[in-house]
This record gives sequence, structure tokens and C-alpha cells, in this order.
Amino acid sequence: MSWSWRLILRRLSAKQFSFSLLQPAGTGRFLLRLLALWATTLHAAQMPASEVVDYQQQIRPLLVARCIGCHGPRKQQAGLRLDAPAALRRGGDSGSVIVPGDSGQSLLLQRVVAVEAGKRMPPRGVPLSVVDIQLLRDWIDQGAVMPALVAETERHWAFRRPRQHSPRAVEDLVWGRNPVDQFILARLEAEAMRPARDASVGVRTRRVYLDLLGLLPSWQTVKQQQASRDPDRFERLVDHVLASPRYGERWGRHWLDLARYADSTGYESDRPRVIWMYRDWVIDALNQDLRFDQFVRQQVAGDLYPAATPSQRIATGFFCNGMYDPGVRWEHIIDRLNTVGTVFLGLTLGCAQCHDHKTDPLSQHEFYQLYAFLNEAKMTTVRREHGKLIAHPPPDSATTGNKPADEIMTTEVLQHAAQPTHVFVRGDPAQPGTRVVPGFPAFLWNLSSKATKQNPDRLDLADWLVAEQNPLTARVTVNRVWQRLFGLGLVPTENDFGMQTPPPSHPALLDHLAIQLQRPYWRGLKSLLRTLVTSATYRQASAVHPQFALRDPDNRWVSRQRRLRLEAEVIRDVWLQAGTRLSSKMGGRSVFPEQVAGVLENRATPATWTPSQGEDRYRRGLYTWVWRLTPHPMLPLFDAPDGVAACTNRDRSNVPVQALSLLNDPALVECAQSLARSVAHGDRRGDSDRLESLMRICLSREAHPIESKVLLPLLQQQRSELRADLSLAAQIVAQSDAEPRSQDAVWVVETAAWTVVARVVMNLDEFITRE
Amino acid sequence: MTPLQMLTRRQMFRSGTFTLAPLALASLRQQEVMGATQPTSPLPPQVPHFRARAKSVIYLFMIGGPSQLDLFDPKPELLRRDGEVLPDSLLKQAKFAQIQEKQPKIMGSPWSFARHGESGATVSELLPHTASIVDQLSFVKTVKTDDTNHMFAELLINTGWRQFGRPSLGSWVVYGLGGEAANLPAFLVLRSGMRPRSKRANYGNGFLPSKFQGTPLRSAGAPILNLSSPPGFTRRRQRDSIAAINALNRYKLESSGDDEVAARIASYEMAFRMQTAAPELLNLTGETAATLRAYGIQDTSRPSFARNCLLARRMVERGVRFVHLFHGDWDHHTNIAGGLPSQCKQTDQASAALVRDLALRGLLDDTLVVWGGELGRTAVAQKSNKENVAVGRDHHIDAYTMWFAGGGTRAGYSIGSTDDLGYFPVEDSWHVYDLQATVLHLLGLDHERLTYRFQGRDFRLTDVHGNVRYELFT
Repeated sequence: MSWSWRLILRRLSAKQFSFSLLQPAGTGRFLLRLLALWATTLHAAQMPASEVVDYQQQIRPLLVARCIGCHGPRKQQAGLRLDAPAALRRGGDSGSVIVPGDSGQSLLLQRVVAVEAGKRMPPRGVPLSVVDIQLLRDWIDQGAVMPALVAETERHWAFRRPRQHSPRAVEDLVWGRNPVDQFILARLEAEAMRPARDASVGVRTRRVYLDLLGLLPSWQTVKQQQASRDPDRFERLVDHVLASPRYGERWGRHWLDLARYADSTGYESDRPRVIWMYRDWVIDALNQDLRFDQFVRQQVAGDLYPAATPSQRIATGFFCNGMYDPGVRWEHIIDRLNTVGTVFLGLTLGCAQCHDHKTDPLSQHEFYQLYAFLNEAKMTTVRREHGKLIAHPPPDSATTGNKPADEIMTTEVLQHAAQPTHVFVRGDPAQPGTRVVPGFPAFLWNLSSKATKQNPDRLDLADWLVAEQNPLTARVTVNRVWQRLFGLGLVPTENDFGMQTPPPSHPALLDHLAIQLQRPYWRGLKSLLRTLVTSATYRQASAVHPQFALRDPDNRWVSRQRRLRLEAEVIRDVWLQAGTRLSSKMGGRSVFPEQVAGVLENRATPATWTPSQGEDRYRRGLYTWVWRLTPHPMLPLFDAPDGVAACTNRDRSNVPVQALSLLNDPALVECAQSLARSVAHGDRRGDSDRLESLMRICLSREAHPIESKVLLPLLQQQRSELRADLSLAAQIVAQSDAEPRSQDAVWVVETAAWTVVARVVMNLDEFITRE
Repeated sequence: MTPLQMLTRRQMFRSGTFTLAPLALASLRQQEVMGATQPTSPLPPQVPHFRARAKSVIYLFMIGGPSQLDLFDPKPELLRRDGEVLPDSLLKQAKFAQIQEKQPKIMGSPWSFARHGESGATVSELLPHTASIVDQLSFVKTVKTDDTNHMFAELLINTGWRQFGRPSLGSWVVYGLGGEAANLPAFLVLRSGMRPRSKRANYGNGFLPSKFQGTPLRSAGAPILNLSSPPGFTRRRQRDSIAAINALNRYKLESSGDDEVAARIASYEMAFRMQTAAPELLNLTGETAATLRAYGIQDTSRPSFARNCLLARRMVERGVRFVHLFHGDWDHHTNIAGGLPSQCKQTDQASAALVRDLALRGLLDDTLVVWGGELGRTAVAQKSNKENVAVGRDHHIDAYTMWFAGGGTRAGYSIGSTDDLGYFPVEDSWHVYDLQATVLHLLGLDHERLTYRFQGRDFRLTDVHGNVRYELFT
């Protein structure tokens, strides 16, 4: 209710603002204030004085995060333990620490607010925040309610189903655009911080293109956004962007990181594998915005659908990815299970391979029950013919990456195959122990409707993963999406939601987003993305606020956006795009763009890399063939995952060897050359105008005067130097034989000088960064 | 640079007008023109807290946990009681990673040991080359860590914290001391074999500014690619281009306040310098046949632990502060009889050659060499029923062996001893925090004063732990 008011207010304020431009100053603002006051009063009337504080959701996570180092299971300084209700009630050496209903008399509160350094708890690190202290105070004043006895697993926030919380009231009624902002703003206001100003229209446009498509916006798009008076112009742009097939490529690559996709089998032998149809399935599923539960079900058990379609079977390539060596089949099954754990549950299941999980309540027996689901399957190669998949003998192990044409329509899929499963004693497959059948771990949730089924199969596993009772899959998914857009998850340990995970920065927001994705029915990711990127939180500028940076160096409270260096594939894509080389061809077998010599040396089994011809040289990075053992050098250099296990978060290293690549890699220099040609010989005349067009193509903005002051003199200097040495100019231009040969020295010098400048702009930090 | 200085600099960027552009262009040019004066490193040398014994570190990190009981710490008692069940008293305290057997059996070392050198250090037959240099080494036989999991144990020994997010030892060192080499990164990372389990965190900058992270070289093919400028780009043209890039990046740094831009600027300056310095560093044709033979390098174009050791020497020779060299896998849960000799064969000769070579060139006094892994291995066997697959040893964290050479450490010396079953220390336990404090001390850094303010708190590598172990010093 209060939310819709805010929306109305926002609309009004937008209109009011344009109105006030025509009116004597002040009138509009006054009206706005009046409206704000009215809304505040309304809102306040609906809210209780202070919200009921929940021990499980708010208090225990706080105490666990800040206190259990000294007052927990391992250490109980002063005889005090704070992580369990019984112990907390009992108190420590100096008696009880809580007087229910009277925070003033409660030692716990006295100690966290103490001014004296020696007295204040916690003794090291930042003191508890004002918000946290208020939470404790409210909770004690409300009677310090806590459950008598809680099962260990029920205590952990991530193992309880998400709940819908209403966000706290906020003071600033103008900033927010959707509920996401209200959760974020409430926390910022509580921390006495404020959100950053909006990023410029240009930055915002470029940001959403890079985030959702992994490509640069055209200057025309930026200009339209800047010129439009439509208050919903950005929302319209987002819809347009989400409808682009490039979206599936961009977010498909994120998913392929999780699916540990590669075009070879890894290990010493690292044989080629043909599984690009799975890659294309992912792209297509995302572009069609397949409901997320279907997206999961098809990948986990598409082959078990009644009358499974070829597409549903191809989706099971999810499990066929990963390193593979037929000699150690069990390793592959464990890899599948670990992938399920990381990708859907956010749990490190693998720990239970050898022993009961040390920190999460998963027994070794349960691990092998889950293992059994994935064990009862075999990999097979099928061939697509006339829309059907037919059995196909596995490719000859001696063949290399460049397949003959008749083999390229094959792909690897999973199919059911009965197979007994035993616990591996101490994780050792050579020591089979008790026989186990497929089953679900007790600590999460029961699949009630299917519980009666005698022999659950992979389809039941899939249903279990996307069951409504599932507290994890939706949370883990939205958290990862958040992380991609803001650089840090609401749960920073995006791959571990287990018992040791501290509470999320915004628990209510995480739950809100999870519920949006999951209830009343699962949706595709597009609606979630739309909500997030149209929020005011997302639109913020990314510049560091000097004071907030000291208080919140990780930007956990999201008082600004964050600059994020682009991923390996996207860096190459934007070079190609700016260099007018990028092919828009989608899908199909993986390609072999140029790479420096020597990459494939010293392999145990030889591999080939015959550079692709024509536009296949310039396909988007995600179509590049990946030899797990010896990937294209740009991939590891810019932290692309190695495909050994599911990768939930890529590093963003920043080292000199990257600069060497961006400066000198011949494939990238070629992009600078072609960009220079289009700039130097395009429609625009005069150095300033040409520079302007270069900046617009690369950075989606106009040149700053300071930049012109550096780049124009550079251009002139290069021009005169190159005029004096035409042979160097010719080398820089590297005229291809296909071009009509120009004998015109001016043409060569101009092109060369602009190549120098274009290469400078393409090497700017801003060019490879999402602002 | 103290955090305060950095902050002031950032504030200056924010408040001041942008006047650096022409200067920046000039600065690289000037450095080139004024050939006489040494150009400064992007991480200029800093004054240590006190007199440094060592200038640089080569850290031979043995991923996976080499078996101290089969290499350096012989236990005849294990042989005598081979096959017996581990006594209850020990079993109760044991923290195994994988062994679940109720009654694990003691395993004597299948390899023989002998005393070597004047110091009479005992070394296994698996390491004949290391045995030949024992008089130059100090062994610490009682290193202790806290986590039986590789990933967390790696993080603990290399970052002082069992979770991700803290700066690595190398990053702390270059934060404290800067670099001596103007033309090479101050912190370089080499690898042969597997990747360490906690990957980049082992040489990452954590919350320290981004420019302090280690630069990894490629482990396959050429160690560094794209060292030549494109055709037509003379050195002067490349320099002018980079000067322009950095002038504009400085402007970006000013407007964004983003530390990553500062690191990018440093990277481009360094990349320019590396274009001449790195080919010279990587070019091994100047090394004599005798040197290559000593390290056991047959083919200089082929990546190997041995080639990395030689490169490490060349790096410190050229003023690189910290070389972190990774090699693995030493994780011999099963088939230790096959796996351990093979790892030793890959590393023994070159490790010894490195120490000897450094000594010959007079570099050992200034260079601290550290050899060891993130954990050790158990006195009991871990069984495998696989046919023809022998037993191995599980992870052991209470006492394992590392060795040190040069950099102001004592030579021909052994510290700490373990009980008859090689289980617990009987004297001088060295927690990995002590190791960190001691390494910093040798470099002239006080581990309690080398701090960085983050989230309102002064952090340090050793957290609230760590004792400098002076007994290691000459």
C-alpha cells in the first residue's frame, strides 16, 4: 500500500519537475514537499512503533557474525556463549546478560554501547552499527523472545524458507523507483549514509548494454536516450535490450561458467568433445526466457521427460560437461553432484564425499544417496538428423578439434541407466561400503508429494531442486544475479550458503527477490533482471565517496554502483565491435580465432588450432573453442574459469601482463586499425569531429576537453612523425591485399596516425570497464 | 605508503583540478631521456622498519603437503611399529582429513635416511641433491597449521587467515618494501604442475590496493606473451601512446576514486618497461651449459619446475622482491610409493641448484629461500583397496617440515623436534604465524607494525598472533 503511494509520488515529482522549469522557482518544490509530508503521515500511521524483531532472522545471525569468535562453541570467554538460546538465557560468569523487557538493565546491551574502549564489545574491529544496536535493544525490550529449543539446522537462516518482509519506512520518498530501492535505502538511512546521484544517461545506457548484452550501445541509442522526454525511456530501453538475442549469449556465458563448459575433456589427455549444442540450448533457453524451474528441470533430467524432445535431451549436456576420463567415471559423478551443490543449493556438498560434512548437516550416507541419482545415468553421443536425435557411435578418440563436417551435428547427452550405488568408504571408490538408493538429505526439505515413490529418479531430483519448499535454489540464483550486476552478492560467499555463512547484507531484500522469482510460480530471469536494472540502486553513479569508502569499503550497503572490469570474452567482443569486425552470427560449432604461436606446445596429446576463416575469426568470445588444458591465452589472462569445477564468481585481476596483451596482441591491434579507417575516412571532417566520433564509438560519450588536449596533440605529433617515415606508417596501417591499394601517402599517414590514437582510446581503463 | 598518505593523495585528486596530463606525458619521456638516472618503479622502494637481513624472497611452495616423515623427519619407531594400531592417546587427538578407519595403522617410511654434511642433517634417499646442500639450510621440523583442508590451509599459510579476502604474504611484503626492480613487477608468480587450490588468493592483494597483487606468468608455452610492440610502433611511439593512456587514466582515477585505475596506470608503466626487461629476463641463452645442467634443464623452451627455479634466480638478480613459485601435487593420500618419488624427481635437483647458484653468485645472503607446503602428512597409513595401488598418508597439521636458506638465516641448523611417532612437537612448535612474522622480520619488517586500515581496523598479516623466531637468524 505504502509502496504504491511512493510510485505515484515519483510520477508526480517527475512531472512536477518539468513543470517547475516553466514556473517561478519554488512553487513546484513546495508542492513536492507537501506531497511528501502527506505520504509520510500516511505511511507512519500504518507502521507499528517498532517492528517485531525476529530472533532467528535478525538477532542470532548478528550475534553469530560478531560475537562467537570469543563467545561461541569453541571459546566461551567469561563463561558466556551467545549462539544458542539456552546458553544466552543462562548468561556468563557475571550472571545473566539479558533482562527481558528492559534493555537498559541488560549487560549485553550495556557492553555493546559502552564508550570505554576496554569495556565495549566486540573489543576489536568496528563497533556494532547503530542499526544493529537498535535491533538488540528492540528485541530485548520486546521481551527477548527466542525459541526454547531449535534444531541446529532450523537456526540457520538459509535453511528456512524465504519470507515476505515489508521494507522499513524510509525518509527519502523521492529517490526510490521500486521495492528494491526501499530495502536498500532503509539500510543506508539507518547507517546515516545516502545513495549516490544517478549516473549520466550515457553511462547508464552503456552499463545496461554491457551488463545485459556484453556489447557497446550505438551512439544513436545513447543520443535517443539523452534526447527523449519520455519518463519511461530507460524502462523501454531495457525491454528492447532484453529482447535482443545477444542477451542469451551474454547471460548464457554466465551459465556456462557454472556448467563448467569447454570443448575438451581435460586431464592430461584433454581430448576434443562436441557439445556445442548444449551451449546453444542455454543461449536459446535464456532468450526465450524459459521459466527457471523448467530451465533447471530440463538440464537435470530432460531425458526423463515423457516423450522427451531433442531439445530437452540436449539440455542434459549440463551434466556431460566437466572434465571426463572414462577410467575414473566416479570422479565425473562426484563432479556432477558438486555442481548441483554449488549451482542450485549453494552448498559445498563435496566435503561429505569422504566423511560426514563438518560444518553442514549432511551425512556421508546422504551424500551417496544424492550421488545415486546421478550415478544411474550414462553419457551417450547422439546425432541430430531431421529434428530427431539418433544414437551415434562416440567420436574416434584420435580426431582433433577440427571435426569433419559429418560429425559436427553430434552432441553428448545423458540417459538413464540402472547402476547400483555404494557408499565409498573414506571417499575411496575402491572401497564400496553400504548400498544406497537415491534419496534426499533430511536437513533440507521433504518432497512430500513424491515421497511415496519407491525409486525416485533424476526427475525427482530436479523437482526437489525447484520445489516450492526449497529454501536455497531461488535465493542462490537471485544472489548470483545480484552479484553480476553489483559486483558483490547480498551473500558475499555466493558459493556457500551453509551453516558458516554470515547473514546477508539485506536479508529481507534477498528473500523478497527470491519470492519474486519463485512464487506463485517460477519465472524466467528476465523479469528479475528488469526489476534490478531499472531500480534507482542500479542507476547510481559508481564514483567512490571518500567518507563512505572508509566506513563501507566493500560497498556492502550499496551507496553507489561499482566499476567492474569486463570479462575476458567481453573485452575481446568490445574490441571487435568498436573495430567493426564483430560477427553477429549465432551458435554452431566452436571457432578458432587467431592466437599467438606456441600456446598448444608441450601437451601430452597434440591439439590443433587451424584459424577459422571469414567471419568465424570474429565471432563473439563465447564461441571460441576451449581446450581445457591450453585455452586461448586471453581467457586465463583475464580470469576466465578453467572449467575444472563450477565457477560462481570470476576474479578480476589487474596486472601488467594484461596491459601487454591489450597493447600488443596482433588480433586486437587489427581492431584498432579498422576502427581508425572508419574514423579517419568516415563522414566527419576535421580532427576534433573525428576524435569525437572515436570517443562516441568506444566510450559512448563526448570527449572531455582535457582528453582532447591530450589526444589531438598526440594525433598531430604522430602525423608529422609518420609523414617523415612513410614505411613505418605503412606498417602500422598494415594494408590487406583485399583493400584497393592506395598510393596516396596522405591516406596512409592519416590512417596510421588515427590507428595510434584509436589504440590509445581502446586501451583506456574505461573502455574495458563497466562504469 | 601509509593508508593516510594514500587517502590524502586520493583527496588531492578529488579536490584539485586536473593538471597532470602534460606532466604525465613528459614524465615517461624524461625518464627515457635521462638515461643516467634509474627510472623509478611504480612501487618505489620503501624504508624498512629496521635493518633488513634479506632483500628478496623465493618461496618454493609445494602444493598438497609433502610427507615430512619420508623426506626430512625419520622415525625409526614408525618402522618398528609398522602395521600396529595408532595408540589411543594419539588417536583421540588426531584430526584426519580423510581417514575414517577406526584403527588406522602406523606406517614406517619405506625409504632410507642418512646423515649428510657437517651439520649431519638427516635427509631421505629421495632427495639426494637437497642432501648435498644441507649445510646451507635450516630445517624447521615443527611447523604447525590449523586446518586439515588444503584450500584453507593454503589460505592460512599464505594470507594468515582461513578464509578468502586477506592480502597474501607477497602482497604484504611489496606493500611494506616496494620493489627494487624498476623494470619488472615487484611480485612475480611462477607455476609448474597444478594450480593451488585457493588459486589467486595465494598471491592476491586482498584489501590492499590492487597494485600490490602478484603477477602470474604463464605455466605453458612462453611465460609472457605479446612482449613486442606491433609493427610500426617504435619504442618512442609505444612510449608516447602509453603516456597518453596513462594521462587519461589519471583523469579517470581522479573522477572515479577507483583504486583499480591506479593499478591499471601502474600496470601500463610496468608493461612498457617489461617490454625490454622481460625478454632479457626470459632469455636463457646466456646461461652456461653447466648452469643448465646443474638445474637439470634439458630444453629451455619447455616449462618445468627447474626452468622456474632458474627464472626465479634471474628475477631476484634483477631486483624482484618476491617470487612465489608453486609446484604440485604432493597430496599423496594413496600410492605414496609412486607419487612421492616422482614429485621429488621433479623438484629436488633444481631446488638444490637454486640455493647453490644463489650462493655462488653472492645472492644468497640477500635472498631468503623458503621450501614447504601448506600441511604435512600422517604417521598412519591411508588405505586404498585399489588393485596395485599402494597406501598413502593423510593430512597432518600438528608438525611438519619446511626449510630455509640464505637471507640471514642460520646455515646447517635444525629447529624443533617431534615425538617418536612424528606426531606432536616435543619442542619449539612453529605456528605458520611465526613463520610469517619471521619472514617479515628478515626483510626488516615488524609484523606488528606492518598494518593496513580496513573497515575501521588495523589489519596485519599475522592478525593477533605470531612470534618472530630469532633462533633461525645468524
